[in-house]
Amino acid sequence: MKKRLYLELENCIGCRSCLAACTQCGGHEQRNRNYVYDVNPLVNRQTMPLMCLHCVNPACARSCPAQAIQIHETGAVLSALVEKCIGCQNCTIACPYGIPKFDTEQNLMYKCDLCIDRSKDGIPPMCASVCPSNTLQWLTDEEIEAKQKHFTLDNGKWVTSMPYLEGDTNVKVNLPGILQGVTKLF
Amino acid sequence: MQEVKIRDKFFKEIENVCHPNETLIKTHCAYCGMQCGMNLRVNTKTNKIIGVEPRYDWPVTVGKMCPKGVTAYQQTNHPDRILKPLIRDDASLKGTQEGFREATWEEAYDLIAKKFSELQANYGKDTLSVFSGVSMTNEKCYLTGKFARVALQTRYIDYNGRFCMSSAAGGFLRSFGVDRGSTLPWTDIHETDCLFIAGSNTAECHPTSMFRVWHVQERGGYLIVADPRETPIARRADVHLDLRPGTDLALANGILNLLIENGYADEEFIKNHTNGFEETKELVKEFTPEYTSQITGVAPEKIIRAAEIYGKAPNAVVMFARGIEQQHKGVDNVSGYTNMALVTGKIGRPKAGVATFTGQGNGQGGREHGQKSDLLPGYRKITNPKHVEEVCKVWGITPEEMPQPGVSAYEMFELMEEKTIRGLYLLCSNPAVSAPNQNFVRKALKGLDFMVCADFYLSESAEFADVILPTVTWSEDEGTVTNLEGRIIKINKAQEPLGESKPDWQIQAELAEKLGRGKYFSHLKTARDVADEFRLASKGGYADYYGATWDKIDEQDGVFWPCKDEDDPGTPHMFLDKKFYHPDGKAKICALPYRPPAEEPDGEFPLRLTTGRVVFHYLSGNQTRRIQFLRDMCPEPYVEVHPETAAKYNIEHEEYVRLFTRRGEAEYKVKITEAIRKDTVFVPYHFGHEKSINLLTIAALDPMSRMPEFKACAAQIEKLDMKKVQ
Ligand code: SF4
Ligand code: SF4
Ligand code: SF4
Repeated sequence: MKKRLYLELENCIGCRSCLAACTQCGGHEQRNRNYVYDVNPLVNRQTMPLMCLHCVNPACARSCPAQAIQIHETGAVLSALVEKCIGCQNCTIACPYGIPKFDTEQNLMYKCDLCIDRSKDGIPPMCASVCPSNTLQWLTDEEIEAKQKHFTLDNGKWVTSMPYLEGDTNVKVNLPGILQGVTKLF
Repeated sequence: MQEVKIRDKFFKEIENVCHPNETLIKTHCAYCGMQCGMNLRVNTKTNKIIGVEPRYDWPVTVGKMCPKGVTAYQQTNHPDRILKPLIRDDASLKGTQEGFREATWEEAYDLIAKKFSELQANYGKDTLSVFSGVSMTNEKCYLTGKFARVALQTRYIDYNGRFCMSSAAGGFLRSFGVDRGSTLPWTDIHETDCLFIAGSNTAECHPTSMFRVWHVQERGGYLIVADPRETPIARRADVHLDLRPGTDLALANGILNLLIENGYADEEFIKNHTNGFEETKELVKEFTPEYTSQITGVAPEKIIRAAEIYGKAPNAVVMFARGIEQQHKGVDNVSGYTNMALVTGKIGRPKAGVATFTGQGNGQGGREHGQKSDLLPGYRKITNPKHVEEVCKVWGITPEEMPQPGVSAYEMFELMEEKTIRGLYLLCSNPAVSAPNQNFVRKALKGLDFMVCADFYLSESAEFADVILPTVTWSEDEGTVTNLEGRIIKINKAQEPLGESKPDWQIQAELAEKLGRGKYFSHLKTARDVADEFRLASKGGYADYYGATWDKIDEQDGVFWPCKDEDDPGTPHMFLDKKFYHPDGKAKICALPYRPPAEEPDGEFPLRLTTGRVVFHYLSGNQTRRIQFLRDMCPEPYVEVHPETAAKYNIEHEEYVRLFTRRGEAEYKVKITEAIRKDTVFVPYHFGHEKSINLLTIAALDPMSRMPEFKACAAQIEKLDMKKVQ
């Protein structure tokens, strides 16, 4: 059963466990690949993760003159191949969310590969494994559909900006506002 | 018989990833009471711990961990580990890291035995003291109690739980007659209809509870949070009761009054299963929403709304933590909020009850088995002759040999100051950061004739020691701990002790030999030997662990105490038969007059100072401040100030200011946020030396639990001379 990364941004508690866990993936050489932001630091404690969305037609890969960014059969957009990456940093500019990071010492781009050695076998990536608040979840399409039904707003819409900035994405995002559509128990 | 293995909607069968040349050792986190399940990754060539892998099969946390848990493994082979015993010959260097030299265990033990014996010969047995902690296994906690009373033969033993769980313990004992931190398993929490959470920054202190908390709201249930700050959990609450620090009891009384007035009291339940309702009803009448609002600063509408939601909810769980407990009326706050459940009868069934978020990994188990000044294993009282006799049988001493009760943690420092106590054996704790009124505490430590510290890092407290004994981390020993549910779980050994370090139980058994008390300890050769004796010692007590064998823990995903014998599966839900543990089987609804904090703001000190934790650090920070990721995320403490308050003082975001109270002062970076009351400032307490907020906190103790009032005192801010900063 295919599973995907699903984000409920409203849940985030800013613990950065996703970042700590990212370094624990076998292929990640102790460097984390995603971001967590304080949304409005002087005002409240809202935070949100910024993860690679694994675009269906990824700008990062399209922008790469060396075809160093491969797309795995699961749809995961992989980190740059060491032997191909020429260090031009096109991808870091092309990605609408600023996801790819750059290692100036190795002259190499690195990014989230959805912990491909886990996710290729259906095992959740490290971030979604540990996320204490269920901001990051690893769900089947049926489960995501059920979420969509549950969180319908008064205006009948699923709380998300999909299609997102960069067209369709393999990762699904539910923007803040998730609770608006929930009917209270009493 | 109750259900044994709990599998809820969050549980998924997921296979673990195990890399070539690695094995996975199932265990739990080193830190907080959540005791998240984790697998430690061990390299099979070097036999060293190299990483962590989620433990999806642990029913409470299903693979989830906070950043402390994810990086906990980095403690074990950390360069700061103490690998050999250290001795400092020059006592004038006490209070610094200087002057330590490496020694053999033999030399260290001989020196300790000599000094301890001399002190006791000159000043009596009780001149020695033991200050312990509960971030270690039940086996170690148990043996530490025995070590103090049988090997050192002193009455003075107490532990850091005094600064953590003592008020919850006192409140539960008074209300229920038994102190199990949660009346229900955590796997119930997401299924309740209303969570009333007071004084718990859950998202930062017990993060892996959060997926269950959010699920209550996702189902259409309610979340009510009482906290002076808009913490990450309060941010999303249906009602945020933003009270002044130290006014919880008024809020609890105010809500209770509304519950009774508006017909939410369960008269059948009150009549059959409780005492004390009438007096309490009379007492809380005064706490109208308006009066409660005057004291707490919370708008009357919010108080009314919170009471209405809690009252209407078919099932609800009242939860709280150090925010209400670390006050000089902490015990009353606990009983006050517990009253809500007792008056409405929302207790003694699944999905409804009362729970405290236990702070330390073994905060529950560690307080039950004899590290507290007046307690013996199995939650027995040292003042009860029958209890003493039962324990003496297991220990092989006579009741006459059992020392008298001692004094509480903070009071031990007072006795050090007045030279009643001259020697200290400190383990598993860092009071030179975590105790209140640090200037006094550090002076008391410095003045000791002889101090031993057992730790795996050179903590701020170890800086006062004459001898440091290298202990192991949690991953180099095995044993049980009791998590915040009251579930006894198993910690497994993943690596051999680094360097010459040893587990505390072994050190204590060997030291007992040197002190001429070997015959009471020499049979304890392994952690399992200690476990067997400990289970026996707890048998028949309130906290009966006798039936919680390591095999059963493994088979059942842990065992909830009480668990009396081999056939008893344990007790996930307390009070299902509506029988409480007071002699008449009834719970006590408590009439609790309101008392303000010990130190109220005034002209000179107009602000309320409160302290707490951040998600990246654990307790005194002795462990987490050494972990790179955690240090990068939160390198230093700060003072949170509301923008309007900051404007009054003409201070800006990230500027350093002087914060001071009647007891001390420190300089902190300002963090401006609207997510705090205007009359309140907050500083996290994980930092040592001149950055410790406990230089400023007050040692006003709760009359019952002897808990210091960490959560409320009066403070003032002063803008620093800019030249001095640069
Ligand atoms: S682990 Fe989850 S809750 Fe924590 S920062 Fe990352 S997304 Fe947010
Ligand atoms: S989010 Fe950015 S890095 Fe990720 S696939 Fe899309 S374009 Fe590439
Ligand atoms: S510190 Fe507590 S919440 Fe964090 S991983 Fe450890 S046990 Fe879990």
